[in-house]
Amino acid sequence: MVVLAILLPILFGALLLLGAPRALGVLGALASFLLNLGLFLAHRGGETFAFQAPLVPQAGVYWAFALDGLSALFFLTVGLTVLLGALVARVEGRFLGLALLMEGLLLGLFAARDLLVFYLFFEAALIPALLMLLFYGGEGRLRALYTFLLFTLAGSLPMLAAILAVKALGGSPTFLLPDLLAHPVRGQAAFWVFLGFALAFAIKTPLFPVHAWLPLFHRENHPAGLADALGTLYKVGVFAFFRYAIPLAPEGFAELQGLLLFLAALSAVYGAWVAFSAPDFKTLLAYAGVSHMGVAALGVFSGTPEGALGGLFLLAASGVYTGGLFLLAGKLHERLSTLEIGRYRGLAHSAPGIAALALFLFLAMVGLPGLAGFPGELLTLLGAYQVSPWLAGLAFLSVIASAAYALTAFQKTFWEEEGKKVADLKGEEWPFAALAVLALVTMGVFPGFFLHGLESLAEAFARILGGGA
Amino acid sequence: MTLLVLAAVSVVLTLLGFFVSVPAFKRLTILGLSLGLLALFATWGRAEAFGPYQVDGVSRVFTLLALLGALWTVGLVRTRRFEFYLLVLYAATGMHLLASTKHLVLMLVALEALSLPLYALATWRRGTGLEAALKYFLLGALAAAFFLYGTALFYGATGSLLAGAPGEGPLYALAVGLLLVGLGFKVALAPFHFWTPDVYQGSPTPVVLFMATGVKAAAFAALLRVVAPASLEALTLLIALSVLLGNLAALGQKEAKRLLAYSSIAHAGYMALALYTGNAQALGFYLLTYVLATGLAFAVLSEISPDQVPLTSLKGLFHRDPLLGLSLFVAALSLLGLPPLAGFWGKYLVFTEAAQAGQWGLLVLALLTSAVSAYYYLGLALAVFQKGEAAAAPRPLARSVALLVALFLLLLGLFPGSLLPALAAG
Repeated sequence: MVVLAILLPILFGALLLLGAPRALGVLGALASFLLNLGLFLAHRGGETFAFQAPLVPQAGVYWAFALDGLSALFFLTVGLTVLLGALVARVEGRFLGLALLMEGLLLGLFAARDLLVFYLFFEAALIPALLMLLFYGGEGRLRALYTFLLFTLAGSLPMLAAILAVKALGGSPTFLLPDLLAHPVRGQAAFWVFLGFALAFAIKTPLFPVHAWLPLFHRENHPAGLADALGTLYKVGVFAFFRYAIPLAPEGFAELQGLLLFLAALSAVYGAWVAFSAPDFKTLLAYAGVSHMGVAALGVFSGTPEGALGGLFLLAASGVYTGGLFLLAGKLHERLSTLEIGRYRGLAHSAPGIAALALFLFLAMVGLPGLAGFPGELLTLLGAYQVSPWLAGLAFLSVIASAAYALTAFQKTFWEEEGKKVADLKGEEWPFAALAVLALVTMGVFPGFFLHGLESLAEAFARILGGGA
Repeated sequence: MTLLVLAAVSVVLTLLGFFVSVPAFKRLTILGLSLGLLALFATWGRAEAFGPYQVDGVSRVFTLLALLGALWTVGLVRTRRFEFYLLVLYAATGMHLLASTKHLVLMLVALEALSLPLYALATWRRGTGLEAALKYFLLGALAAAFFLYGTALFYGATGSLLAGAPGEGPLYALAVGLLLVGLGFKVALAPFHFWTPDVYQGSPTPVVLFMATGVKAAAFAALLRVVAPASLEALTLLIALSVLLGNLAALGQKEAKRLLAYSSIAHAGYMALALYTGNAQALGFYLLTYVLATGLAFAVLSEISPDQVPLTSLKGLFHRDPLLGLSLFVAALSLLGLPPLAGFWGKYLVFTEAAQAGQWGLLVLALLTSAVSAYYYLGLALAVFQKGEAAAAPRPLARSVALLVALFLLLLGLFPGSLLPALAAG
C-alpha cells in the first residue's frame, strides 16, 4: 500500500506530462489525498505498512519503505497541500503533472527506510522543482536556478560522503535504517559524518546563513503559488535531522549541538525580522518560512522528546498554512497582477471572503491557540527551554515578531482606505478555503490525534541522545 | 571466438569494400559489429584461452563497451568513403585484443592496433583535423614508448611478461609506474591529458565519440590488469590531478566538445577510483553509464554540427527539437551523476570502492570536484532551454535512438541491480 501511495501521484503526474487534461490531475490529487488519509487512519488503527525489495543487493541497497507515525503525518499533509494546490492554482496540465510527480517523490522520501533510497528521492525531488522553475519561472529564473542547484549540490555531495562513511565506518551490512541504527558511528569519525549530513540538511531546512537560495527561488517561481507550496513541503531538513543525521551519529551531534541551537534561534529571529520589511507576499512568506523552520529546528536540536515532537508537528503544519498562503497569494496575483503588498490596500471591502481566509491562515501561522501553528510552537519552546532558556527566549521573540509582520501585512492588504474592487471567493475556491480551514482547526484542536505514534519515536530519539524518559 | 569473428569480418569487409556501395558497406559494418556482439554474448560467462589471448569477465565486459562505442560511431557518421567504417572495425578488433590479454607484449601490439586506425580517423576532416591527428599521434607514440620501456623493465624486475606478476624493489615500482603512464595517456588521466581537448575539438564528432568510449573502455581493462600495489601512490596522485584539472578547466569552456573533453579527463579520474580494489564490476558499470551518456551527448552535438559546437549554438534546441534537447539534458545530468539517472549509480559504485580502500581524502576531493562539475554540466543542460535558434538537422532515426538511450539511462538508474549480476558474470 505504501508503494501504491507513492506510485499513484507519479503515475498521474506522468499521464499529465504526456498531455492528459488538467481535470485528471485534480482527480489524481484527490485520489492520492484520500489514499493517504486512509493510510493515516489505518495506521492510527494499529496497522503497519512496510515494503522491501532489492535495489542493488550487492551493495546493500533495498527499496525499503514503511509507514510510522511520522511518515503517516507527512503523507497526510503532503497529500492535502497538493490537493489544495490542484484545486486553485491556475496552471496548465503539465505544471500540475510536475507537481504530482514531486508529490510522489516527497512521499517516497518520507517513507524511505533505506538511507540510500532516501538520498535518491531527496535528489530526484529536485528535478520537478527545477523543471517547474525552468519552464514556468520569471525573468531571472536562470540565476535563481543556479543558486538553488549549487546550494543544494554543495550540500548533497558531502551528504553522499557521509552516507558512504556511515556504512563503511559503522560496519553495517546494508543501508537499511534498522541495520544502520544498530551500528552507529563512534569517535572522531562521528563528527565528520554528522557534519556531512548537517551541511545538506541545514541548507534544506534552511538555517541561517545557508538560506540564501530560498528568497530567489520563491521570487522567480510561477506566481500561481503551486511551486512555492511544494517548495515549502520540500524543506525536509528538520525531518532528516530527526530521522537520519542525529540518530546515526549522536556523538557528532553532541559536539555541534550548541552551534546548531544558536543558528536555529538566530534563523527564527532573522527570518521574522526580514519578513517584517518584505515588499511582496512571496518574500514575506519565504522569510516567514525561514523563521518557522528555525523554530522547528530548535525543537529537534534540543534533543528532548517535547522539542522534537513540536518541531516535527510544526514542520507538518507549516506545510499546510504556508502552502495555503502561497496559493492565496497566487489568487491575489491572478486578480491584481501584482504581489507587492503596498499596491493592494483595502481589499476586505470588496472581497470579505478572501480577507477572512487570509486572516485565518495568518493566525494559524502566527500560532494562535486553537489553530495548527500553536501546538508545535508551544512544544518546541517547552523543549528548547529545558536545554537553553536563553535561546528559547530569543526564539520566542520570533513568535511575537511573526504576529507583527503577519498582522501588518494583513492590515496593509485588506484594510486601510478602500482600494480596488476585486472578485471574492468563487467556484473552486470555496472548497479550497473550506478544506484549509477544516485542516487547520482540526490540527489545532486535536493535535494529539495527529501525534499518534510520534511520541514513541520522539522518546526513542531522545534516548539515543542519552536523555528523555 | 569474438576475436575470430571480428578479425574475419574485418578481412572480408576489406575486400568487399571495393565492390560494394558505401551505404551498403555501412550496413555491412553494423552487421559485422553485431556479429561480434553476438559472439560475445554466445560465450558469455565461459572462460576462453588461446596462448596469451584469454577471454575472461573483464575482457567481455570491456569489449562489450568498446563494441557499443564502435556501433554508435558507425551509426552516427555521414561519410562518402568506406574506409572510415573499416578503420573503426580494425580499431574495435584491437580494443577487444587489448581487453583480452595479460601479456604485456601482446598488449602493446593491441594498443598499436587500436591506435593506428584512430590516427587516420582523426584526420578525417582536413585542416584542423590534421593538427588534431598529429597531436593524437604524438601522444600515442609517447604512450607506446613509455609502455614499451615499462615492459622491458617489468621483465627485468620479475622475469615475466604477464601483467600482475608479483615483484618488489625500485625497479619493479618504476616498471609498473611506466606501464601506468603509458595507459594513462590512453584513458586521458592528468597530467597525460594535455592536447586531449585539442584532439577532441579538432576531430570529427563521431570519431571523438569513439575515442571517448571505446578507447577508454579497452585501456581501462588493461589498467585493471597492470595496476599493482607498488603503483598505488602514483595512482593517487594521477586521480587527484585528473579530477582537479579536468573539472576546473571545464568550468571555463565555451565550446561543447572541449567541455566534454575536460569532463572526460575528470571522469577518467573517477573511474580510476575503482582500480584500488580492482572491482571490474563497479568500473564496468561506470563505463557503461559513461559510454551511454557521453555517447548521447556527442550524438546530439553531431546533429547540430559536424564541426565545433559553441555552447551558444545549443540555445533553443529544446524548442526547436524537444527530443534532442531533452536527450542532451538527460545526458548532461547523468554525467553529473544526479539521481535517479544511471550516472549516479556509476559514481556511487566507484566512490564505494574508494571508501572500501580507505581513500577518504581522495573521496572527499572527488565529491567536492563533483559539486564543481555541476556548474558546467548545468550550463550544458540548461542551454537547450534558453532562448535562441539552434541549428539542428534532425534525422528521425537519430532522434529515436537518442530518446531510447535517454530512457535507458533513466531505467538503468531506477533498476541498477538488474544489470550488475550480468556484469559480474561476464
